Amino acid sequence: MCRTGGIFEPSGTGDDKAMDAAFTALLEDSAEELYESAPCGYLSTLMDGTIAKVNTTLLGWLGLEREAVVGRKYFADLLTVGGKLYHETHFAPLLRMQGELRGIALEMKTAQGGRLPVLVSSVIKTGSMGEPLLIRTTVFDASDRRAYEEELLRRRQDAERARAEAERARAEAERARAEAEQARRQAETDRERLADALAVLQKSLLPHTLPVLPGLETAVYYHTASPDQLGGDFYDLFSLDGKRWAFFLGDVCGKGPQAAALTSLTRYTLRAAAHHDPEPETVLTTLNAVLHEEYTASGDPRYCTCVFGVLAPAADGGMTVRLGSGGHPPALVLRGDGRAEYLPTPGGMLVGALPAVPFATAETTLAPGETLLLYTDGLTEARTGSTGEELYGEDALLAFAAGRAPAPPRAVITALTELLEGFGDGLNDDTALLALGIPAQDGPGAE
Amino acid sequence: MTPLHITHHDTATGPTLYVTGELDYAQAPFLRDRVDRLVLRPDQCLTLDLSGLGYCDSSGITALLAARQHTLAAGAGIALAAVPATLRRILALVGLDQVFTLRPGAEPSPDAGCGV
Repeated sequence: MCRTGGIFEPSGTGDDKAMDAAFTALLEDSAEELYESAPCGYLSTLMDGTIAKVNTTLLGWLGLEREAVVGRKYFADLLTVGGKLYHETHFAPLLRMQGELRGIALEMKTAQGGRLPVLVSSVIKTGSMGEPLLIRTTVFDASDRRAYEEELLRRRQDAERARAEAERARAEAERARAEAEQARRQAETDRERLADALAVLQKSLLPHTLPVLPGLETAVYYHTASPDQLGGDFYDLFSLDGKRWAFFLGDVCGKGPQAAALTSLTRYTLRAAAHHDPEPETVLTTLNAVLHEEYTASGDPRYCTCVFGVLAPAADGGMTVRLGSGGHPPALVLRGDGRAEYLPTPGGMLVGALPAVPFATAETTLAPGETLLLYTDGLTEARTGSTGEELYGEDALLAFAAGRAPAPPRAVITALTELLEGFGDGLNDDTALLALGIPAQDGPGAE
Repeated sequence: MTPLHITHHDTATGPTLYVTGELDYAQAPFLRDRVDRLVLRPDQCLTLDLSGLGYCDSSGITALLAARQHTLAAGAGIALAAVPATLRRILALVGLDQVFTLRPGAEPSPDAGCGV
């Protein structure tokens, strides 16, 4: 066989001659051996496909004996059913038309029943007159390539699956986000509805308006520390028998719905007890028994502090005030002569926490132009000063009242409302104010 | 808001809880829970050392009342030690200075009653 190409062409030097000899030894294969043992399959068929010649390589791949193939099988017999069909419908017609075909993927079947993916190239050898004589075919083992392609396909399918998965996850996240947004909106709506309900409930714990009582002027103020929480302060004023009036103001422990329940029970107990026997000590004792029975005795101590009192007409257009205190800050009186004084009720115990407790009582007379002020400790416990560490306190309140006495209820409440607003964030608790006064006939306290 | 801290020490007369921080609506339940889990013998005195208490509102008072109820149910006693002036004033206002044994200092004196 001749050497092809110029790469190995000897250049004529002595060393090169030796190398040339070595190459010659390597390449001394016969054309026959090259045909039989080539790294690809060769076969030649007649124009009808009858196999006329086939090399050892291809026989080896297919596990066939030469005798069983040559002159006995058609090329199509070597193919799988699918391959045969494709050969029949595409390969053979195209080959006849074009005279050659290159790199067509087909599948051959092996004697062991396996499949061998191959790439087939064929060319028609023609005679001097151009008439077709036979078909020469080369067959390349495409197993590796097929495996590579399958791997590629598998990877692409994996990537596609992963992409779809990611898309699903993204859609899922989007749905979750939308649901969260929906939940947030729902929560916002619920919160608003709750705030509305709380406002309604809060109002139910306090009288809508105080009754208009002859010979008595009244004013109230209620500050809610937190719109989200039901307040724990309460007050009321009502007629007992047309001649006397009862009033109360207090503060229940805690906040929220539980405090509201306690407030409600307290308010209705006080009203009912007052109609039964308005003596302040008796009323407070009744309230104590009710609250203690309801809560503390069952291991859930709750209590309120409270001032309860009765107003009764006195001589000279004035009124007597008899009140009792259960652990509540003392009531304040703004006198007609410009003084302010507390009505001390020391030793009065908070209501509901203990089974039997003492309550302190006090009595005074309000002359025309004088005002009685009840308040909750939101006022006296307001934090003041630059650091907010100091409490406003009872002394400051006394001085504030003295600075404005004499003053009718509305003027007192107006002044105190301004004071509370001045506390700003220092006013961190609910605060209730109730002022009761006898209108002045004339003079400085008159309106 | 200063966080509530409660530390427990056993003394000869009974357990002492050192309560520091603020006893308010949010934190008072922690004291109630801590006291509820105390197992007291009838001869013991629970001391609540309040020297480090910065603030105490009505919920805090409720927690003190619940502690008292818990100790009384066990037949034990309760004392408040080193009560800050502000709280002492509030306790007097609501009459509870007549109910709780108030001790000036943190250390219980051996002969001090528990005010059961």
